[in-house]
Amino acid sequence: MSKKLLSFPYLLWMLGFTIIPLGLIVYFGLTDKTGAFTLANILAIATEEHAKALWLSLGLSLLATLFCLLFAYPLAMILRSKGVSGSAFIVFIFILPMWMNFLLRTLAWQTLLEKSGVINGLLAALRLPPQGLINTPAAIILGMVYNFLPFMVLPIYNVLVKIDDNTINAARDLGANTFQTFWYVMLPLSIPGIISGITMVFVPALTTFVISNLLGGSKILLIGNVIEQEFTKGNNWNLGSGISLVMMIFILISMALIAKYDKNGEGTVI
Amino acid sequence: MKNTTLPSLRRFISNFYLVLVLIFLYAPILTMMVLSFNTSKSRTQWGGFTTSWYQQMFSDANIISALYNTLMIALVSALVACIIGTAAAIAINSMKPVSRTIVMGITNIPMLNADIVTGISLMLGFIAFGISLGFKTILISHITFNIPYVILSVMPKLKQTSKSTYEAALDLGASPLYAFFKVVFPDILPGVLSGFLLAFTMSLDDFIITHFTRGAGINTLSTLIYSQVRRGIQPSMYALSTIIFLTVLVLLLIANYRPKAKPAYSETAQTRSREETAPESGTRTYLKKKLRAEQLHKWTMVTAAVFILLAAGLISIKNYAMANNNELYVYNWGEYIDEEVVAMFEEETGIKVTYDMFETNEEMYPVIDAGAVLYDVVCPSDYMIQRMMENDMLAEINFDNIPNIDQINPRYLEMSQAFDPQNRYSVPYCWGTVGIIYNTKRLEELNVAPPTSWSDLWNPALSGEILMQDSVRDTFMVALKDLGYSMNTTDPGELQEAKELLIAQKPLVQAYVIDQVRDKMIGGEAAVGVIYSGELLYIQEEVEALELDYQLDYVIPKEGTNLWIDAWVIPSNAQNKENAEKWINFLCRPDIALRNFEYITYPTPNQGAFELLDKDTQENKSVFPNLDELENCEVFQYLGDEDDAVYNHLWKEVKSK
Repeated sequence: MSKKLLSFPYLLWMLGFTIIPLGLIVYFGLTDKTGAFTLANILAIATEEHAKALWLSLGLSLLATLFCLLFAYPLAMILRSKGVSGSAFIVFIFILPMWMNFLLRTLAWQTLLEKSGVINGLLAALRLPPQGLINTPAAIILGMVYNFLPFMVLPIYNVLVKIDDNTINAARDLGANTFQTFWYVMLPLSIPGIISGITMVFVPALTTFVISNLLGGSKILLIGNVIEQEFTKGNNWNLGSGISLVMMIFILISMALIAKYDKNGEGTVI
Repeated sequence: MKNTTLPSLRRFISNFYLVLVLIFLYAPILTMMVLSFNTSKSRTQWGGFTTSWYQQMFSDANIISALYNTLMIALVSALVACIIGTAAAIAINSMKPVSRTIVMGITNIPMLNADIVTGISLMLGFIAFGISLGFKTILISHITFNIPYVILSVMPKLKQTSKSTYEAALDLGASPLYAFFKVVFPDILPGVLSGFLLAFTMSLDDFIITHFTRGAGINTLSTLIYSQVRRGIQPSMYALSTIIFLTVLVLLLIANYRPKAKPAYSETAQTRSREETAPESGTRTYLKKKLRAEQLHKWTMVTAAVFILLAAGLISIKNYAMANNNELYVYNWGEYIDEEVVAMFEEETGIKVTYDMFETNEEMYPVIDAGAVLYDVVCPSDYMIQRMMENDMLAEINFDNIPNIDQINPRYLEMSQAFDPQNRYSVPYCWGTVGIIYNTKRLEELNVAPPTSWSDLWNPALSGEILMQDSVRDTFMVALKDLGYSMNTTDPGELQEAKELLIAQKPLVQAYVIDQVRDKMIGGEAAVGVIYSGELLYIQEEVEALELDYQLDYVIPKEGTNLWIDAWVIPSNAQNKENAEKWINFLCRPDIALRNFEYITYPTPNQGAFELLDKDTQENKSVFPNLDELENCEVFQYLGDEDDAVYNHLWKEVKSK
């Protein structure tokens, strides 16, 4: 019994700093400035500009998640095939950029993508026409993929590395070719990693406001920007909370997905 | 899938792919390192090699204290999270499945919740509990989002330990605590360590949650950088990042000198299990564990070494200010004072100044309104001063304490009456106009005449070449003035027209930015931009210093523009009102005002300082326009919360088109 007491500090902490604050978001989201109950803040998501920002965010973050998955899976396979030696260092290479500040990394992309930036400089040296790269939806997707790629690579790598070589060899012995081995053995076994990777990329991408400000030139309004502006500029906390509540639906879906695919406890969340 | 079985072509392709990904990951970091040696502040112009940013970094008290805060918060939050998290993991492990599922569900909340929601909910929580925002609130927030990482790292380790050894220890007479530390703890140590490392990294990299939960005078590196984004990053930030990055890299190379080891980080850090893990075959598990443990020990050494190195460096540099009741909390725009002036003020008066910065009036307002931080003296703009005044948020200034008010040219006090009718609440600090800056060479190339009117910003030939301001009132001012209306209008019809006009302009606009107009124009990114006149002197000096082959000129459009004033005010909840008055008086002293003018380069209303300037600057019409010649110029007025909301809504419509 005494062991259970050990969870008390934790539960108290979570109550004070997670549950109650979330409760406040619910409270603000369901009331107006005078404190009276209203659904207006939640229904505000349906107004033209909010709905458009939401669809745009969904679109961009889905694309970014897809690109992350497409880049990360082969990468995780390669890292796995490197075997025990060397991969420790290689995997760390993907964490190392996180020690360099997130904002500075994103700003550096601005320098690379700008009209007179590094990439256009290289293009000019090759006598190619300059490209309008910055302040486009593509630049935002690039920023998302760049910042969140490690969150996709690591969970997938973690499940792949746990697949016993004998399983793969068995598939080979039974006559499966490379593709079949991948499709019928590797892929199904790596689903928990893929699912946690997807949620770890999708949720932050969906709600970002920094990347769209820095790489989108503030021309592209995402739902994260709407929430941030209501809190820091519009001074309408009720509306900001209401829209946050709508966003939590997507987060709940992610949690449900993880719970569904992670029953055997082998799954990995970073 | 062993290396040796791969055909060489496949190996080549996979290595090639790996290299491509590495280039993608490291290109921005390399860029930053190069920029840390660039003489010019501009991110796009190479001005020559220098190491001066490194020197500047070590002498910049803001950077050093932000670095100190960042490391302290990362270390302490990771440590506390380790203690609470490990205890919780042990408890959860012995729980019944139902309660375990519930607790693990709660554990997932901070990890899966969007950072922005976590940050805002914590901020609301702190304000509701009456906890004033500061160092401790950032720390609490970081502990909150770090605990789950620790729990998820420790849980799988606990599953692998066998209960029987612990019970055997008890049978042999060990106390539960002793048995735990001798038997269980060594087994779960790798999980605790990887949890610590993960928590440390996450805390280091966090921006959004810190952004919402920080208070006065507290910056971490992330928030310091964000406050600089608007006005251009100081290259000393690049220098600092380069040093951190290289330190970690070198330590890593040393730690990984022995190549045969498993990646501790990825292996153990993210495993989380709810149900029983299948028992692994004995020897393999043992070897793996051993390797992991070794790897983790190396890891801890690396982290500890990084921390000790940096902390030692910091302590030798940082001057700990003595605890002092004689304090002053200042809230000002970013880069809106010569930092020497703050030091001089502290020295002359013995008052300890806590200096904090905001980027927009709209951002400053709720901070003062919520009373989350009690500032003593703030420097908002005209219309915001009016708003604060109407909402009883300002204290009347006792001008007996500000004899230097005589130095302020009465013209500007008169101008201030547009928002402070009796000059009772505010003392002007800087003023200026808003106009169009243009790149003469680029316009020639595009065959466009230099702008003279706001309507020139709707010229289709300038598609993708226009920079607009990213703030509601400034952008609507452009459209309203172009239409010939007052920029303080509340007429719905006029506002709709302005909105339509801005939507029509949006395809031509390259970006909506604030102070980045300056850097982007210097870098030749755009042909025209809407800009505050104060930036002119700096821009022209920089163009000269970089020997650019184009000129940047400034024009006040003929339809008239916004005449703005930033002024010092004292919030009604200020704790140190007399110190605030001393501060205002100090800034009104001509020699001090001159110093600030030379640093900020925004026109000063201080007549004494103006007279100390050389003739060229006095006669520079871009900086000091002749007030009598300006027609149709207005000062922004506060329109009331309802009309403000109308503006905000219209602005969102423009932005979402």
